[in-house]
Amino acid sequence: MSGARSERLVDEDAAVALLESGMTIAIGEPTPMALVRQIVRRELRDLVVIASGLALDMLIAAGCVRKTLSYYAGGGFGVPVAPSFRRAAERGDIEVWECDEGILTSGLEAAGKDLPFLPWRGGVGTSLPAVNPDLKLITDPVRGETLLAVPAIRPDVAILHAAQSDAFGNVQHHGGPGWIDLFLQRAATRCIVQVERIVSNEAIRANPWATTIGRADAVVRLPWGAHPWYSRGWHVQDSPFLADYVAAATAAAERDEREALERWLDHWCREPATHTDYLERVGLRRLLALHEY
Amino acid sequence: MEADMTADCSIAELLACFIARDLNDGEELQVGIALPIPEAAVRLAHLTHGPNMELIFLGARMNVHHLDHLPMPAFGWDNRVVRWTESFSDRGHRFDQVKDWHRRVFFVGGIQVDPHGNTNLIGVGEDYRRLRFRGPGSVGTPTLTTHVGRYYIVLNSHTPRVFVPRCDFISTVGWGEGGADARRQLGLPGGGPKYCITPLCIMDFTEDDKRLRLKSLHPGVTLDAVRARTGFDLVIPDHVPETAAPSAEELRMLRSRVDVTGALRRM
Repeated sequence: MSGARSERLVDEDAAVALLESGMTIAIGEPTPMALVRQIVRRELRDLVVIASGLALDMLIAAGCVRKTLSYYAGGGFGVPVAPSFRRAAERGDIEVWECDEGILTSGLEAAGKDLPFLPWRGGVGTSLPAVNPDLKLITDPVRGETLLAVPAIRPDVAILHAAQSDAFGNVQHHGGPGWIDLFLQRAATRCIVQVERIVSNEAIRANPWATTIGRADAVVRLPWGAHPWYSRGWHVQDSPFLADYVAAATAAAERDEREALERWLDHWCREPATHTDYLERVGLRRLLALHEY
Repeated sequence: MEADMTADCSIAELLACFIARDLNDGEELQVGIALPIPEAAVRLAHLTHGPNMELIFLGARMNVHHLDHLPMPAFGWDNRVVRWTESFSDRGHRFDQVKDWHRRVFFVGGIQVDPHGNTNLIGVGEDYRRLRFRGPGSVGTPTLTTHVGRYYIVLNSHTPRVFVPRCDFISTVGWGEGGADARRQLGLPGGGPKYCITPLCIMDFTEDDKRLRLKSLHPGVTLDAVRARTGFDLVIPDHVPETAAPSAEELRMLRSRVDVTGALRRM
């Protein structure tokens, strides 16, 4: 008998060090905001991102994004269209790989299954194959129907937020994973999960059916790490915080007034060196007021 | 008392009640984001006549008929939805049972709508790489509208910029180029759009061409106003009734048990 099982528990620096400029990074929901903030802080560039909402808009605002695989950039955080996304797309500053949820998950499933593509029906008859030439209309060889061939989408890294993990990367969500998280995990080359807490391996084995991701490549303990988004079973979303961002990003996008947005990015992303520094800025009072139950 | 209550009914409340009446017990009602009128409508229908309806918000399926009230806005966007959820389709199988979506009802918005009910959430402009207006994207609407039994197009404004002869881009196919078999020819199994609902009127589709046809005008709206604010010729039947007003009981239920913050009243 020799050796010991390797832990996959890493610290914040080691987790972020796995992310590099030029990568395709898939960002889950609930959003791993602590890792997203570190992407801004470390000024990663030319990223291809699969993301929506605040994470997408913030990364575009901070100049990190070259291309986004986008099914939706809007309403969920209080604006019809995410402001920085809208401006960057209209100016041609970012490339948009237009899709919908069913198309995106088909591409992710194809990657997970190591297939070149998977067929999908949603999108047939629409403009999606015209504006996204990667989506090919094909005639299926079995029934002769017209379908979309969605190419495999294989992110370099998926970054996710979950409730708990043991030190070996056995991740359990509270209240279920976000809708896309497991698609991202199955498709990505590597998966980093930030969690509210680390539990014992015995606690995981007590209820293995609750394990949503076995063997994440890295787990990092970042409590409150989804703030200002929600974290199921832990806290609700911080809506006024999101509204502050939307106001600053809208001023930048619509009136070219970037000052408030830069100040927001400095204060919340660039200046706090660690997640703990960030939480100190947010303040205990504000955090505790968000408790779910 | 009753007269007072229905007299100050807002258009958004009128539309929520109209939609609620059109929903049947036993149906699955899926509502996405940023559609407050359908959100209210499915809750109201569930409480008034849908003990076997199932509400689906973002993959969370629930039957909450037993609750005293189903508050707006959006417990779909609030993670506390898990308190009422009976099951999630989140766990990697959201789209694995589209074969059964014929019993599902859905709602879509749009930044453009054409005469055959095709809609656009992608953007406005001739050149996709340089859009004049970049829209939010199609979310799950292409997939949902391909498969669901029927859907409703619900719009917040009714102007010639929205109702256009041709959409710059199509994100959901209504009746394609028109014709009763348009969807079958495209291989789309779902039932297509039933009504198009705006702050001015309700429209349905002609049986043969599947072209938008005026069905009813909201109180105080003239036919000329609708014509002037639609960028193509609507089919106008000989007789166009007024959109039926909510009953006092429907409004009472809506205001006291669903829209408790008055969001629809202020719209």
